[in-house]
Amino acid sequence: MREALRLLLGGDAELYGVIARTLLISGTATLIAMLLGIPIGYALARGRFPGRTLLLGMVNTGMGMPPVVVGLVVWLLLTRSGPLGHWEMIYTARAMVIAQFVIATPLVVGFTVASIQALPALLPDLLTSLGAGRARMLWILSREARLGLLAAVMAGFGAIISEVGASMTVGGNLRGSTRVLTTAIVTETGRGNLPIALALGCLLLALAFAVNLLLTLVQQRRTG
Amino acid sequence: MQVSVEALRFTRSGRLVLDIPSLRFAEGSTTAVFGPNGSGKTTLLRLIGGLERPASGMVRIGDVPVNGDPASRRQVAFAFQEAVFVRGSVRGNLDLALRLRDLSPAERAWRLTEAARECGIELLLDRPARQLSVGEAQRANLARALSLRAAVTLLDEPLTGIDRLTRLQLLDDLPRMLGTFAATTILVTHDREEAFRLADHLVVLVDGRVHAAGPKAEVYARPPDQATAELLGYTLLTKDGRTLGVPPGAWAIGGEGEPFALAVDRVVDMGNHLHVVGRIGRVRVDVRLRRGDAVPGRGEWVTVNATSHVPVGR
Repeated sequence: MREALRLLLGGDAELYGVIARTLLISGTATLIAMLLGIPIGYALARGRFPGRTLLLGMVNTGMGMPPVVVGLVVWLLLTRSGPLGHWEMIYTARAMVIAQFVIATPLVVGFTVASIQALPALLPDLLTSLGAGRARMLWILSREARLGLLAAVMAGFGAIISEVGASMTVGGNLRGSTRVLTTAIVTETGRGNLPIALALGCLLLALAFAVNLLLTLVQQRRTG
Repeated sequence: MQVSVEALRFTRSGRLVLDIPSLRFAEGSTTAVFGPNGSGKTTLLRLIGGLERPASGMVRIGDVPVNGDPASRRQVAFAFQEAVFVRGSVRGNLDLALRLRDLSPAERAWRLTEAARECGIELLLDRPARQLSVGEAQRANLARALSLRAAVTLLDEPLTGIDRLTRLQLLDDLPRMLGTFAATTILVTHDREEAFRLADHLVVLVDGRVHAAGPKAEVYARPPDQATAELLGYTLLTKDGRTLGVPPGAWAIGGEGEPFALAVDRVVDMGNHLHVVGRIGRVRVDVRLRRGDAVPGRGEWVTVNATSHVPVGR
């Protein structure tokens, strides 16, 4: 533990690099999942089109998808001999963003559907009758559903910052380029550096807590 | 603006729920679309408001077809049966509606103040809209719709679900409120008293079809069929092969009128007068006794006169 504190307080560049990378990769993946997942969730909640129920079923399944399976599929796609091998992305941070994005998106979509459907049924009709166009409708409904939408973001972020299987598979846990907190914990545990592994674990928890606290503060701001 | 309905048909899960060949709501009129629950009243209102697409036919506001684009919806103000609000104050909700119509801040401010005053919600403006009582919420709901000063105002069951005192008050206030704000008003109700007190024109809708339409006095005086007559409160009786509609309370023992034989079931003491409850054939009839009338006993037959009646078509 003293060792971990020393690394942290002593300004260990490698440790700070891991922390920054973790936040950057999971943050980017969450952001893309949000930008895509919230409109999709909105469409699934409000729309009536063939295949909607099937899609909802797929989303609900996706919410519980094992990260390591996602990692495997993304690995198969991105590996040098795979169909997207020419992108040369395997074992990069970008590959990890893709895998984490795939894990987070169903969570964001699922929570978005639930929170939009929990709004008063007539609210979209009211806004339509008042003359709101598509963009303003989305904006106002999102504001109304912000408790649920922020829960969606927290669920997505929480799932991927704590995820190890996919990051390990597609990132490769390369020191200095794709090592993040979770894979670092696995590495240190493997080496028998249990105190450091535990300290990193505490750090991960603290990080997740800090981000969620921030989102919770936004969520619980006077809701009227 | 005038609202016209042309060859309008609407289906839900393959079932035809509304079929109106032609219907016109005159500019500046207040029309009650009146009918039992499930007759398609709200669906008609939603079609006029551009919230549903017809299977065929169309609705026009003025000369412009309602096609569901935001510009055409802005001709219309819609107050739903259930008052629905966004988070925040009553003021915020009213202001949001005006903002969605792209009005200037100054215009929004005076319209909001005026609507709040007319609807009696000035003191509620800073309360959270979702914490209003049902009656207060309905007033805020009406204020929001009326503040839009739309060419056409649509009210879905504006007085349903509110307590009796508030309802009576709104029955008195609403015509004045409509007079201040609304050009053409179409309101939906299943309540006869509401229809007659609030509207000047009546559209009787049964099972998705218009049974009668016109100025309320005309519709009331000549119900075209039995379903309409019953909805209007007439007691239907057959005499010499004709069907007569007798309005509520138009019965007396003795005097002038169309005589019928009444089998007396019981006499009810209403405190300051007596009611005879009985049957003509299989139809239940309630006759108020006047001072000096002989009180009939149970099981007796008495002759009662319908003091007024209208002919009813088949």
